[in-house]
Amino acid sequence: MKQKAFIVVLIGLMQFFCLAEATQTRKEDPDTGLATWETHADGVTFSLTQILQDQARAFYVNRGFTLDQIESYATSCVFMTVVRNDDAPGRIHFIRSNWSILTGGKSRPPEPVSAWIQRLKENNVTKSALIAFRWAQFPLEQEYEPGGDWNQGMISVGLSAGSQFDIIARWDVNGKPYEAKLEEVRCAK
Amino acid sequence: MQSKMLCGAYGVCLFVFLLVVANSRAADLPPLTHNLAAVENPPAAPPLRLKNMDDEIVDIKDMRGQVIVLNFWATWCPPCRREMSSLERLHLATADKGVLILAVNIGEDEETVFSFMGVIDAAPTFPVLLDPDSHSLEQWKVQGLPTTYIIDQNGRVAYRAVGGREFDHPDIIKQVVGLHKKPQN
Repeated sequence: MKQKAFIVVLIGLMQFFCLAEATQTRKEDPDTGLATWETHADGVTFSLTQILQDQARAFYVNRGFTLDQIESYATSCVFMTVVRNDDAPGRIHFIRSNWSILTGGKSRPPEPVSAWIQRLKENNVTKSALIAFRWAQFPLEQEYEPGGDWNQGMISVGLSAGSQFDIIARWDVNGKPYEAKLEEVRCAK
Repeated sequence: MQSKMLCGAYGVCLFVFLLVVANSRAADLPPLTHNLAAVENPPAAPPLRLKNMDDEIVDIKDMRGQVIVLNFWATWCPPCRREMSSLERLHLATADKGVLILAVNIGEDEETVFSFMGVIDAAPTFPVLLDPDSHSLEQWKVQGLPTTYIIDQNGRVAYRAVGGREFDHPDIIKQVVGLHKKPQN
């Protein structure tokens, strides 16, 4: 009898932890009120944290941009993005343009960094400011080994303040595809 | 005049933002990890020849026979800022064990780097090199900052770490010092 109860509890716990692993969380910073959406899938952590338009302006003005030069980027719904290979079955590889932003029944990749750089070049942004912009973005393509390789960087979603969307991050391990989805993510207001 | 005032306001805004970030609970920040991934079939290290903060040329080909910890970073990169003091502690723990630390700053001027050095807990006493054009990132196939390579005594890339690390963690010190104990070719 005791053995049966133990097995039932064990199965329950296993189900709980399996479900917990796939659960998306939403945390709010008590100081700034900014939200972070995070999920763990197949040994990989994926999260997005809101960045206020003024935070984006301040960051880039301090890197050498004028307010005019960075305005369209700062108002394009920018998130601080983290991907970390905690304990995936091997080295993960991703190409950012394979990710999907799902909004209004349509799917498209995040705003391409090359397009932003082209626009900024046309606005006579200085070389050092462009370098900072390029490397402050979340990597365009990357590989992470298990055990904690990770990056954080900015992603422009290309939506107006307060907009809601879902995002799917995709990667592969030795050619086998994996993905993680964050639902009902909202651009900072 | 108006634009100067606006820039000043955004400067204050950035200061408050950084203050909030600095005071955020550690649990809210992505954790710094302490693992170095071994590179398969360690390739020869690409060339690296840059000026240091004293305007002197530093070339890693002159450092053959020593283990080099080569870190690519920028002052505006949050995990780079967080790991910098741990690189200094790694330097203090391994300087007498044949290990050299080099940090390559990407795209910034000497004044910016120097100002940053003045505000961190354990400021680097190891060489900081300047790459104002970011050309070294292409040569070293860096896709994101920070990225750190550990080069063995034979000039081969033995380990790679993408993202912030606690470089003074015993596991990393053991891996780095262990390389120096390996026989040279």
